[in-house]
Amino acid sequence: MAKEIYVPPKQSAFGQLFDSLFLLGLVLVALFAPLFLKLAGGGKIDIPVQDKSTWEGLGQTAQQAAQWVKLGFTPESASSIITSRFDYSFNPVELAVTILVIVGYFALLFAFSRSEYREVIDERFGRRSEQ
Amino acid sequence: MTQTTAIHGEKISLLRVLGPAHVWALGVGIVLVGEFMGWNFAVGKGGAVAALIACWVAGLLYTCVAMIDSEVTSTVAAAGGQYAQAKHIVGPLMAFNVGLYLVFAYTMLEAANAITLGYLVQTVGTMAGFADVHDKPFIVLTIMFLAWLNYRGVYATLTLNLVLTAIAFSAVVILFAATKPWTHDMLNHQAFLNGLPYGWVGVIASLHFGLWYYLGIEGTCQAAEEVRSPARSLPLGTMTGMITLLIAATMTWYVCSGLMPWEYLGQATTPLFDAARLTGSAPLMVLLFVGTVFSTLASANGCINDASRAWFSMGRDRYLPTWFGAVHPKNRTPYRSIVFLVPVAVIFAYFAPLDQVITFSILSGLLGYTYMSLNVMIFRRKWPLNTIRRGYIHPFHPLPALVLLFLCSVTYFAVFLGYGTQLIAMMIFFAVASLWFHFHRYKYVRRGDQFTMQWPRPAGY
Amino acid sequence: MNQFQMLEYAAWALSAVLGLWMLLDMIKTNRTYDEDLLTSSKEGQIDDALVIDPPHQGGHK
Repeated sequence: MAKEIYVPPKQSAFGQLFDSLFLLGLVLVALFAPLFLKLAGGGKIDIPVQDKSTWEGLGQTAQQAAQWVKLGFTPESASSIITSRFDYSFNPVELAVTILVIVGYFALLFAFSRSEYREVIDERFGRRSEQ
Repeated sequence: MTQTTAIHGEKISLLRVLGPAHVWALGVGIVLVGEFMGWNFAVGKGGAVAALIACWVAGLLYTCVAMIDSEVTSTVAAAGGQYAQAKHIVGPLMAFNVGLYLVFAYTMLEAANAITLGYLVQTVGTMAGFADVHDKPFIVLTIMFLAWLNYRGVYATLTLNLVLTAIAFSAVVILFAATKPWTHDMLNHQAFLNGLPYGWVGVIASLHFGLWYYLGIEGTCQAAEEVRSPARSLPLGTMTGMITLLIAATMTWYVCSGLMPWEYLGQATTPLFDAARLTGSAPLMVLLFVGTVFSTLASANGCINDASRAWFSMGRDRYLPTWFGAVHPKNRTPYRSIVFLVPVAVIFAYFAPLDQVITFSILSGLLGYTYMSLNVMIFRRKWPLNTIRRGYIHPFHPLPALVLLFLCSVTYFAVFLGYGTQLIAMMIFFAVASLWFHFHRYKYVRRGDQFTMQWPRPAGY
Repeated sequence: MNQFQMLEYAAWALSAVLGLWMLLDMIKTNRTYDEDLLTSSKEGQIDDALVIDPPHQGGHK
């Protein structure tokens, strides 16, 4: 049977090295770009409290205050932790873009995989028409 | 250590020496560190009650993962785990991406462990009264030592993991018992639980870090080529691992949320160690310090094991330079992959902050779970139940896959709420890498050789 | 120099030793063995251990 087998070219040592470094570079860019652009992490807000210098003013009960003290905190050092809240407001356009990117990525992945997979199956099992 | 078992003429391969206990140790060992650090960020995201809901919802997500994974892994048992599965079931580009998810998730988790360990040593140094104490040397040493151990052989590596994991798990159980959960002597949930400070959006947001309770349990199938009877050991090790983690996660939550205010818990670096401090018992403090150290070591150890095997498998298939597909003739380990990933882990552990590293790890895992849910549906369609022999068949198909897909979507939204920019950066990275693979790298790959299973032709092709 | 600093230097030194150990062993192994032998591991070698009943093996023939 005339199955055409794809014979890949042999990659040079330099090519292998370049490909490894390319991937490594890509990984580093992906991780450190958001950090350098200062875009990392969500927004935070402070909630208002009556008095930042006492446990009562921070809204802590006696039992809660006792544990803070055991952990080595004073009202002053704990106040920033107690009053900080995450900001969960978001822009619907950003959400739409994100959804589009994720769905688009998976669509691309499955489409390309499908065509590559067909080649693999054809070579492994022979073409449909030959059987 | 037994030698010679896997020599076929002039060939060398990985050594088949591991039993179900090793699989359990690999799976739980990687994940258990999540109870010692990281899970509590879920408390910060939505309050203690939200973290418990997230813990159970994530538990459901991972039960689906374990069910699906057990079926596919017991059928496609090869080093590289989900990577080899994607290659047989979806196609080469998907496999390349899955391989990258695995390497990413585990290398980042390894970096996070090294950072935590460095922080602990630094804390102890400061508590002992030394000034100007650095964590960096210990971060680097952790990675170097564990890489060296992995380089030397898989049996010793995972036997050490078994011991470390067992001790760390005992530490959680002993702490739970010591706080006398049947009385109100130490734990006082009424004083500390405050409902949902953010409402239900907080519950969704906390799901992001809820994954951290279990992240990495699916790593069990990376060792498929080194397990003695993969079709039996892998499902068994994964399922018992899942049960262990559900118990440990619930106990951890119960102790911590009954001991400290949620505002503190939500930003603590080592919550279980803090819980031990609050009990006022010196032996418990020592025990939980040891437990935290051991769990980070076991986790980093398993991560190096898994990441290097995924990288190795990709090299072997020429998805990456073939140079990485080598096995050490004496140690029987993928030694070049292990060495190559050392500087990668060191760079991240040295320069990146902990929550960023964790987020990248979680995102890579999440992409992997999304793939799994789609993968199993394709698997059942291409090879219906009676066409090939499966080691295990998961019930209620396609319900687990659909539940998993839904929970993944919710978790993407949770990540978007807190780390939208990283999410986009990560997706762009994978898209660029995919294009690179499809248009450049794939020309070096042999086509038919990628399909190594003794299966009939898939339906519809 | 206090004791903790000594500990830090020891950690650096040990890291370097382990790193060099791996690097040298890798270079030695690369030189000693033929590249074809080192990369001879194949994914298909799993099959002999998998419990698949014989009639179902290899439907592609």
